[in-house]
Amino acid sequence: MTNPNTGLETHSSGVKVRTETKNLGKVYVWELPVRIFHWVNVLSILALILTGIYIGNPFIGSSVPEEAYYSYVMGWARYIHFFAAFIFTANIILRVYWFFKGNKYAKTNPFKKAFWSDVLETTKFYLFLKNKKKHTPGHNSLAQLGYIIFIGLGSLIMILTGIYLYFEPQFQSIPVAKLGALFGGDSFSVRSFHHIVAWGFIIFMVIHVYLAIREDWLSKNGTISSIFTGYKTEQVENNDEKAQGEKRD
Amino acid sequence: MLKTKQKTIYEEALSRGFSRRDFLKMCTALAATMGLTFKESEKVAKAMESAKRVPVLWLQFQACTGCTESFIRASHPKVESVLLDMISLEFSDVLSAASGYQLEDNMANIMKEYAGEYVLVVEGAIPDDEFTQVAGRGAKEVLKEAAENAMLVITFGSCASWGGIPAAKPNPTNGRPVKDIIKNKQIVLVPGCPPIAEVMTGVIAHILTFGKVPELDQHGRPKAFYRHRIHDKCNRRAYFDAGLFAESFDDVGAKQGYCLYKLGCKGPTTYASCAEMRWNGGTSYPIQSGNPCIGCTEKNFWDNGPFFERRAKIPGTQTTINPDAVGFAITGAALAGVAAHAGITAVKKKKDEKSSEERSE
Ligand code: SF4
Repeated sequence: MTNPNTGLETHSSGVKVRTETKNLGKVYVWELPVRIFHWVNVLSILALILTGIYIGNPFIGSSVPEEAYYSYVMGWARYIHFFAAFIFTANIILRVYWFFKGNKYAKTNPFKKAFWSDVLETTKFYLFLKNKKKHTPGHNSLAQLGYIIFIGLGSLIMILTGIYLYFEPQFQSIPVAKLGALFGGDSFSVRSFHHIVAWGFIIFMVIHVYLAIREDWLSKNGTISSIFTGYKTEQVENNDEKAQGEKRD
Repeated sequence: MLKTKQKTIYEEALSRGFSRRDFLKMCTALAATMGLTFKESEKVAKAMESAKRVPVLWLQFQACTGCTESFIRASHPKVESVLLDMISLEFSDVLSAASGYQLEDNMANIMKEYAGEYVLVVEGAIPDDEFTQVAGRGAKEVLKEAAENAMLVITFGSCASWGGIPAAKPNPTNGRPVKDIIKNKQIVLVPGCPPIAEVMTGVIAHILTFGKVPELDQHGRPKAFYRHRIHDKCNRRAYFDAGLFAESFDDVGAKQGYCLYKLGCKGPTTYASCAEMRWNGGTSYPIQSGNPCIGCTEKNFWDNGPFFERRAKIPGTQTTINPDAVGFAITGAALAGVAAHAGITAVKKKKDEKSSEERSE
């Protein structure tokens, strides 16, 4: 059966394929600040992961015995890590601002009942079960939950533990010293948090990229290109929405 | 116990045959040990001239006596003898010649005679009563009674400060640090397994000189000695920044003096002054001697995984993992899962397309 609102056909298997092509229009989903946030986030996280893994376990080293003054590999790795960390943090702060300023696709509200029923339906959808998942141009609730946990909570943990480690050992300012208590209190526990949660980001990336490609493939709505252009190709019910969607940039 | 008129520290030094010059030298050295400027050594000298020796009561519970051993090995024989005399160690299980009732009497006397004046030093963790009894009384009771009239409490060693080895998971005796039992007294933590002798004497010297406890950090450790990590002052730090690491204990890197990070050095997470003060009168310290720091001044150091490996602790447990190995494995599993999911999606999609084609025909 084809859903008249979305033009997506739902099968008992749960896979949704676009069959309806009437009424297709462009919907402006990701505003410019959201797209900039996304790509700055990608680049800073990649830089942080590469340097971070090296800092935790320096996998390259000199094969010939040399003196310390020739190179500064760990020094640079840490410098880049800190630099990227500040960009990452500033970027997250701007994104929080845009949460309030941006369009409806830039927000989430897990305190609604509909949110959680959609999480359930979407989970069924991904498990190829019969489901009543509603298609939305933005993120479905399960995706939103994923962002709240990984990008929201995950970033918060990384930023707080990161600040603690960055300011070590100058604990003159009490707030920084107090921060450690949130994560076990001692340097080793804070570091462990930082290292383990970092892997959460890597695993998130794998799933995120896959699901984005899959959505593009099944819905044929230009999910992948939308993060460059901001537009998705969706069923537009009335011209109002279409016009509204295209208005802002 | 014999009662004698208490001498000042200066008088004590003179009576031991030291000259005033020796005495002043000692004060300067002491000031340096405490992290004071040269100017302030005058203050130290003044204090030593007038100050009476601090009566110290030294209690031991679940401990290995390592802290006492370290303490009596304070360096610089000359300074040491005076340092040791600065405090009058009125009671110590290890060093006491008396034993049995005599010793217990002695302790009761001190607590009465010096009420409110003595410093209580605690070594060792405090377990449940059935595991440590002193003269038939549970450890907790003994500690509480001694702390009651103490001026302040100093915990020497990681066991008294954090729980240490007796409190390592699963902590069968329910060993606890002093601060979990004594709540209404100022407690100065001097962790280490054992702490450096000069750090222990330095803390006491500070209390004696200024009449108050030294500046403490958020955990209650004196900042003068626990402000930096080993890693911040390490003699191998240049190799760390250069990215030159010893891969095993007997490779070329180890010979060259490379950083011991990959051999599990805990220097980056360990607050202690080993790298500055060093041990045995400034001779050396573990990293200088080629052994990675094991992080003995840190809380739960015994539960922080193998000494010679870099690990991360899973929050809230004592389980340590190699985060990168586990991370790669989970990422691999995620990739495999994603591939399988994509495969199923493709098959279903094809089937659905076929069926919808059939329907539209
Ligand atoms: S040996 Fe340890 S403390 Fe020294 S630089 Fe290397 S990691 Fe840091």
